[in-house]
Amino acid sequence: MPLVKRDPTAAPPPSQASQGDLASHIAALSAQDAGTRWSAARALGGRADAVPALAAALGAEQVARVREAIMTALMRIGDAASVVALLPYLRSQDAGLRAAAIEALQAMPEAILPFMTSLLGDGDSDVRILATELARNMPAAEATHLLCGLLEHEQHPNVCAAAVEVLAEVGTREAIPALEACAGRFVGTPFLPFAVSIAVARISDTES
Amino acid sequence: MARSEAHEPRAVQITQEDVRRLCEFLYRRTGLSFADSKRYFIDRRLAERITVTQSASFQAYFAILRSDAEHEIEHLVNAFTVNETYFYREEHQLRCMTSSLLDNVVRGKKAGQPIRIWSIPCSTGEEPYSIAIWLMENWSQVDSYNIEIVGSDIDTRALKAAADGVYGDRALMRLSRQVIDRYFQAVAADKYRIDPGLRNSIQFTRANLVDAQDLARYRDFDIVFCRNVLIYFDDASRRMAAENLYDCLRPGGYICLGHSETMSRISPLFHVCRFSDAIVYQRPETDHDGN
Repeated sequence: MPLVKRDPTAAPPPSQASQGDLASHIAALSAQDAGTRWSAARALGGRADAVPALAAALGAEQVARVREAIMTALMRIGDAASVVALLPYLRSQDAGLRAAAIEALQAMPEAILPFMTSLLGDGDSDVRILATELARNMPAAEATHLLCGLLEHEQHPNVCAAAVEVLAEVGTREAIPALEACAGRFVGTPFLPFAVSIAVARISDTES
Repeated sequence: MARSEAHEPRAVQITQEDVRRLCEFLYRRTGLSFADSKRYFIDRRLAERITVTQSASFQAYFAILRSDAEHEIEHLVNAFTVNETYFYREEHQLRCMTSSLLDNVVRGKKAGQPIRIWSIPCSTGEEPYSIAIWLMENWSQVDSYNIEIVGSDIDTRALKAAADGVYGDRALMRLSRQVIDRYFQAVAADKYRIDPGLRNSIQFTRANLVDAQDLARYRDFDIVFCRNVLIYFDDASRRMAAENLYDCLRPGGYICLGHSETMSRISPLFHVCRFSDAIVYQRPETDHDGN
């Protein structure tokens, strides 16, 4: 029979960065070799005391797969410091980096919550659009409150549309007045009243 | 993995908009996609879950689902998917392995280097044994290489069942009579034990897919079958699992996921490879770390 049995666990574990302590992992984040940096980032996942080092490394890292590993490490830590480390990447010119930051921040809805009011009021409409997406994974009442607050004063139709789209999934009945008011303010932008009608129908149906 | 309980669905009204909302959520969260024609199928299973969770309305149930309380996403996905495992499940991937993947794998092999295939999670062993049987039945070069097959799972009870290698009729339903006669022995009514030679050729180990330390010894696999498990993980765990699998694969090695899963939604680490029989994911030959 050509099948050969071999137990992978019988081999000694490879000596790599993951076997070291915090200081050696942090030092390895700036190693020349990308594989070493990748292993270090992975070993620091879940270590809250590594956030400053991970944040600094994320800013300097040029290799996509290492950046991904740093993002995952910060997701696993999931505290306010991790959020602060990731927020600047919402403004990145690199679409991939922006998307990765959103994905990471979405995975930590409790930690991002204190930052939401500021993000939804950001001067950059692209950041506000991304912020609406962050509300998607939050509890329904919280997301509804935040997005309705945005809809009440938001002037940019694309930001409103992004908020309406999230509300269509997570919104509660309390969102209906703000949605209808938004549709009324944008009658000259037909896609928005249309999107609002779908969101309201869903919320009404769901709660009837 | 938990299975859905048998409950008679209660009469909770489910509207078209409820179904759309649910389907959009499920697609975004898991990649599972349902056409409008599946409405009855969805309604029935959704009603079951509403009953089991004692939700008073769709809204109440949807709140439980979104918060993933009591692993409700897993329960709902189980209700929507085929949970039963059996030999030659998703046969097109096995065909892809012998018609496409192994040609590429052996091209990079030096003389004497084994081909290494990993089934994780392997559950009660149907998948790694299927891989072995499929190779012996369908790959013309099978005698030219040493082939190592490892089956791993976090559940030690499942691993014990895998090592025992005894299966019922239903698990063998996709196998021809000739294949059953060749690789199994009847041990009781409707019970078959896998051939001892085959049983002793596959290594079963306990391993946790999201534990990098646990997987540090698992390296240089050419093909990994990791089917129908990532769908149950949260975002962070899925990414950790993808990074672990990256490390476990040889550069150029392949991952086969379940039919409702896609690595593109989890991690950009892998290339998508479209073969005639299946879509699989590949660790790049080189890491392009210089960019």
